[in-house]
This record gives sequence, structure tokens and C-alpha cells, in this order.
Amino acid sequence: MKTFWTLVKTNLNVNFGISALKYRFTREKKKRWEPVLIAVGLIVGLVPLLVLYTFMMLGVFNAGKYLNQPEMVLAVAFIFAQLFVLFLGIFYMMGAFYFSKDLHILIPLPLKPYQVLGSKFVAVMVNEYLTVLPLLLPPIIIYGTGTGGGVLYWLKGLLLMLATPVIPLILSSLFIVILMRFINIKKNKDLLAIVGGFIGLFIILGSNLFLQRIPEGDEQEFIKGFLIKQSGLIEEIGRKFPPGLWATYGLARPGLEGLGYFALFMVVSAALFAVLMWLGDRIFYRGLLSGQEVARRRRSLSEEEASRRYGRVSSPVSAIFRREWKLFLRTPVYVLNGLSGPIIGPFMLVFMLAAQGQSEEAKEIFTFLEKPEFALPVSLGGLGLMLFTAGMNVVASTALSREGQTFWIAKMIPVAPRHQVLGKLLHAFLISAFGVVVTGIMLVAFLGFSVIRTAVLLVLGLMGSMLLASLGLLTDVMHPKLDWNTPQEAMKQNVNGLFGMLLTLLIMALLGGLAALLIILNAPEWMVYVGLGIATAAMTVLSLVALFSAAERQYGKYEA
Amino acid sequence: MIQIKNLSKSYNKGKIKAVDNLSLHVRPGEIFGFLGPNGAGKTTTIKMMVGLLNPDEGSIVINGFDIRKQPLEAKKSIGYVPDNPDVYDRLTGIEYLNFMADVYRTPLSIRKERIKYYLEMFNLEDAAHDLIKSYSHGMKQKIVLTGALIHDPAVWILDEPLVGLDPKAAHLLKEQMRRHCDKGNTVFFSTHILEVAEKICDRIGIISKGRLIAIGTMEELRQGDRAESLESIFLELTEQ
Repeated sequence: MKTFWTLVKTNLNVNFGISALKYRFTREKKKRWEPVLIAVGLIVGLVPLLVLYTFMMLGVFNAGKYLNQPEMVLAVAFIFAQLFVLFLGIFYMMGAFYFSKDLHILIPLPLKPYQVLGSKFVAVMVNEYLTVLPLLLPPIIIYGTGTGGGVLYWLKGLLLMLATPVIPLILSSLFIVILMRFINIKKNKDLLAIVGGFIGLFIILGSNLFLQRIPEGDEQEFIKGFLIKQSGLIEEIGRKFPPGLWATYGLARPGLEGLGYFALFMVVSAALFAVLMWLGDRIFYRGLLSGQEVARRRRSLSEEEASRRYGRVSSPVSAIFRREWKLFLRTPVYVLNGLSGPIIGPFMLVFMLAAQGQSEEAKEIFTFLEKPEFALPVSLGGLGLMLFTAGMNVVASTALSREGQTFWIAKMIPVAPRHQVLGKLLHAFLISAFGVVVTGIMLVAFLGFSVIRTAVLLVLGLMGSMLLASLGLLTDVMHPKLDWNTPQEAMKQNVNGLFGMLLTLLIMALLGGLAALLIILNAPEWMVYVGLGIATAAMTVLSLVALFSAAERQYGKYEA
Repeated sequence: MIQIKNLSKSYNKGKIKAVDNLSLHVRPGEIFGFLGPNGAGKTTTIKMMVGLLNPDEGSIVINGFDIRKQPLEAKKSIGYVPDNPDVYDRLTGIEYLNFMADVYRTPLSIRKERIKYYLEMFNLEDAAHDLIKSYSHGMKQKIVLTGALIHDPAVWILDEPLVGLDPKAAHLLKEQMRRHCDKGNTVFFSTHILEVAEKICDRIGIISKGRLIAIGTMEELRQGDRAESLESIFLELTEQ
């Protein structure tokens, strides 16, 4: 047990950079402001979202109270939080279990496989609290204060909150461990990791779709039905994923019944954890070890073939651009996280539209949206969607961080930092542009946008993606996270990714505000687009200038 | 070729002096061996020479270019191999070499010839098309060496280049170093293998606690006392 805790402690230390932070505070006093600044930035960026969320939850609570089902707010929150963790867990666990760099240090140590597995699990779980606590704390407080919960309520609430990530994370871990054990054929490890990730994603999407189809009827009916049958619906979801309900009843039901559900939740969590450890002890290393092997072909190429391979000379910028692509496409975590926004986003929309598209009501909505008087707002909505799919990825905002330990190469090569950054920018832009184009195609397909309208939106969308990519990259250049163990950390546990997305929302709000202003001032439609174009272009130029000068300055500062 | 003047670098707000007022001059045609105990400041000095670390004070001029003021020109003259090369695991060897050739703007004919030459020399032809991830430590060392020399830089700066190389590759590399310097170029390398330093270096510098405590040819270091080996000189100097 002592060994286990030592491992957990070390893992947490590395995961959160505790020693590194301590070092920075005690030794490198000049850089003390950085973590403080990040904290302030996060608070400024996240507090509005949290406030919004709290109000939403308050609304759900009041609606529930009105219908004499106040625990609705808890059920919604627990189910949402657990599904969220289940979804993220697949990626986190794959990274932690199979792709972290410290595994080659841990495997030779006299440790049981379950100790390694368990310590990695705990580190990820603690990490999940960062998302789970903001999701659960407001509803638990709302319900507790709203119904006058006693000491027992708060105590149970605290424990349930801490235990919430356990079950979904174990389910994703089991999924990953079993997947890696049985499908991991050494040679195609990376490919399989990607395919496995996407399968997981589609399972979740599919079940979402299924859940979505449960309530049918028009919108008024739906809301009424939802409010009347809310406990029915919640139970419906709960039946598919009961732990969320157990937690809810554990908190909301009085006396022994509540305690019973509470105990059920805790016991199942503990039991599943035991299963994971038991299974991990048997199959974890087998999958892991075969994963550590890398296929080597060891064949010499023919003279001709070889000369074709190194028979191309390109400029440094294009060499860096191509390196970015190769490293990106060959690292499963990057592909999954980078492409899920611009590809899965639009496709999810297609699924949703296709699923609901056959109903009369949906057709009515489409014809409604196609009316000429709605052309402008619908187009602007489409543009917003384009920018959203373009901006909701972390490719640009982790571009420098991803270099990690190889950053010395960037410092050593005789290529100006602004050119290096340009190669990265083009890579990130291309991925965002893909999202813009796919969204554009969908607007044409589902809303029957005209060619000219679509072209105008595409131009604005592409300009906007350049702006978003350069802002994201600027964020990363100003404060890269170069010290990481797994590619996962560079991308998912990188605060810059979050900043990049918040910047996207900010830019969308700015452009939306501008469009609204122009519409209020009765500007003709073309002028709205021109106005948006000029504003985007101006911001893009400014942000590019800032990016290139920041690159020259910051690359010189960072030591490798 | 390499001109270092009053170079200083400290950590922890000046409390720990990693490199302390170090000056040295390495001439064209010279193999310069840089020796010192662990933590003496060898790697810190080398990293400042190639622009990875920023000095607190002092200047470094490589092939006539100041690494701080004209970094790109200086870097073009340098072929650098770090002591523990972390390279792009998910590129193949040949992709890495091509990347290096591109960023150093090496023309096609020259890059083809050099890649072929070094891959043959290091016995890497068969592995060149595999991901670097699959390489052993020594193979990584070899591919990084090849990448560093692909643009035929005038100044080679090698941090522990012989660690991890098999005897044959180490032998060939030493030959290359000699040949390179015979053409009027410069090699600056750090090592712990005193026999190698004694054998192939034209001049040797010994650094201890960030200070250059001795510099000169083997003869000058012996100061007439012929019996002394480099090992005993080293031990004596660094223990003071």
C-alpha cells in the first residue's frame, strides 16, 4: 500500500507539475507572475461561464420544484458530469496507460501491474475533478440551500462529488485496457489507437442520438412533456446509465432510502475499482508491452526509391509545415483532439439534422429558415457555426507546446522564429479551414444557401479561421508548455487550449456585436458582410503582426 | 573560429554560477577537447555556444558571427549534437535528415551525397526508413550526428558525441573529426573519455565549477613533467 501511495504521489506531482511550480516560486522568482497570471486569466474566462451555468441550473431547480421534483437538478448534473467524464476518460486513459513516457521507467521497477495502473488512474481522476467540481458544485449547493439540507446532506454531497468520476473512468479504462489487450497488433498500434478512440466517440454519439430521439413532437409539446414527464425522462436516461440516478437519490431521498442509494453508489464504485485492478493485474502489462514495441522494417530501399525519398528540396517554412503535419498525423492523441472539432462537430450536426430532418416539424423549420427575410440572420448563424467549428480545436493553441523536449531543434536551426511560426500557423489554419468548408457544404445541403451567399460566408469564415489560428498560436507562443511526459499533456492538459477556445468565443461575440450594430443601424445586407470582412481583416493583420514579433522575442527567451 | 569572452551564466538569482567568466579561443584547424567533472558547466557552456541558453554576460562569436546578434548566420556555421538527443520520434530517419537539409538549405546534390555517405558510414541504410522511435540510443545518436553534419558546417560542436556509439562508429567519427579540422575547420567537443581527448585533441580545456582552470596542448598541460597522464592532471586540477 505504501508503494502504491508513493506512486500516486509521484504521479500527481508530475501531472500537476507541483515540484516544478515550487521551484518556480522559490528559485526563479522572476517568473512568479506567470502562474498567477494564468489563474487570473482562467478566472476571468471561466467565471462568466460558471455564472451562466449556475443560472441554468437554478432554472432547472425551479422548474423541478414547481413540478414537485426538485431533485431533477441533481439528476441532470450527475448524469451530465458522468457522461462527460466517460467521454473524456477514453482519451485520458489511453494517454495515461499506454502513451506516457515514464512507463519505461515504471515497467522495470518491482511493481505490480495494478499498482502502476491504479496510480495512473488516481492521477487522471484527480485531474477530472477540475471539470467535475464546477459541474456539480452549483447544483449541489442550489439543491442543498433550496431544500434546507442538513449536515448529512452536505457530507454525502461532498463524498458523492468526489466519487463521481470513478465509475465512468473505470468504464473507459476497462474499454481501453481490453481494447489494447485484444486489438493491439504491434505494427498498427497508432492506427488502432485512433480507430479505437473514434469507435468510442461514435458509441457516445450514437447513444446521444438514441436518447435524442426519445421525445418526439413539436417544440411546445416537447417542453411541456419534458416538464411533466421529467422524472420519466430522467429515469429513461438513468436506466441507460444508472449511477447518476443513484447519486441523485442518495442525496435527495430521505432517511434510510437515501443512505441505501448512497451506499449503492459507493459500493459499486469500489467494486468496479477492484475489478479494474484485478483485471489490470492480469492483462495490463500484456497490452502495454506489446504496445512498447515498435515495428521496424529494416529493409533497404532500391537506389531509385531512396533517391525519390530524398529527392525533394523545400523551403524551411514548407519543411516545417510538412513536419507539423507528419508529427500531428502520427500521434493519435493529436489527431483525435485536433480533428474531432472540425470533423466530428459538423458530422454531429449532420446526424442530428438527419435524425430529425424527416419529421414534419423539422421540415417546417427548414422552410421557415429559408424565407428571404431570415436570410441575413440565418447566414450570420451559419458564419458563427463555421467559426465555432474552426475555433473549437487546440491545434494552434498548442502548436509550440507540442515541440516539448525537441524544442532544442527549433532553437538550433537557422530558421527565423517568425518563419517557424508561419509553418505552424499554416498547419493549424488548414485544419480549421477544413471545418469551415465542411460546415459550408452542410449549409448548402440542408438550408439551400445560394452559391454567392455561401462563397461570401466561406471567405469570411476562412478569414476568421486565420484570425483564430493566429490568436491561438500567439497564446501558445507567449506561454508554451514545453515540459511534458505524454503528448496528452501537451494537448489536453494545456491551459492554452482553453484560452484559445475562450478567445474564439470572444471573437465570435465581437463579430456578433458588430453585425447586430450594423443591423440595428439598418445597414443593407452586403454592408454587414463588408463590415464583418473589414473588421476580421483588421484584427487578423494586427494579430499576425503581434504573432510574428512575439515569436522573435519569445523564442529567444525560452531556453532549451 | 570560436571566440568566447567573459562568458557567465548563473541560476537561482546568481547564487549558483554555472559558468563563471569563461574566455577561450579555438582556432581554425583545431580539435578542442572540453573536459570537466559532472556539473562543471560543460553542457551549459555548449548550450550557450549554440544559442539554446542565453548568457548573463559575455559574448560568443562563431565563424565571425555573434550568436546573440546574428543568430541565423552563426547557426548556419554550426553542426551541433546534444548529449542526450531528443528528436522527432515519429519521423523516419530519412524524413528527419531531409527536414534538417531543408532548414539548412542544403542543395539536392549535396544532401543526397552526404546522406548516402553518412548512412553508409554509420551502417544506417536499412534503418533510415523506419521511425526514429524504433531506434536504439546509439542509432539516434548517429542520425542526429548525420543531421548536424548534413550542411557541412565549419564548426562542429559536439556534446559527448562518443557516448552510445559502437567502437567502429566511434572510430570513424574520430577520423571524421580529424579530417574536418585538417581542412581548416574546427571541432569543439566535450568528453569524459580522457584517453580519447589525449589522443585526438590539439588543445584541451578543463572546466571546474564553472571556471576554466586549465587550457593548452597536452605538453603545456604537463608543464614539463613528462610522466603525467591527462588523467592525473585532470584529477589533480579538479580536486583543488
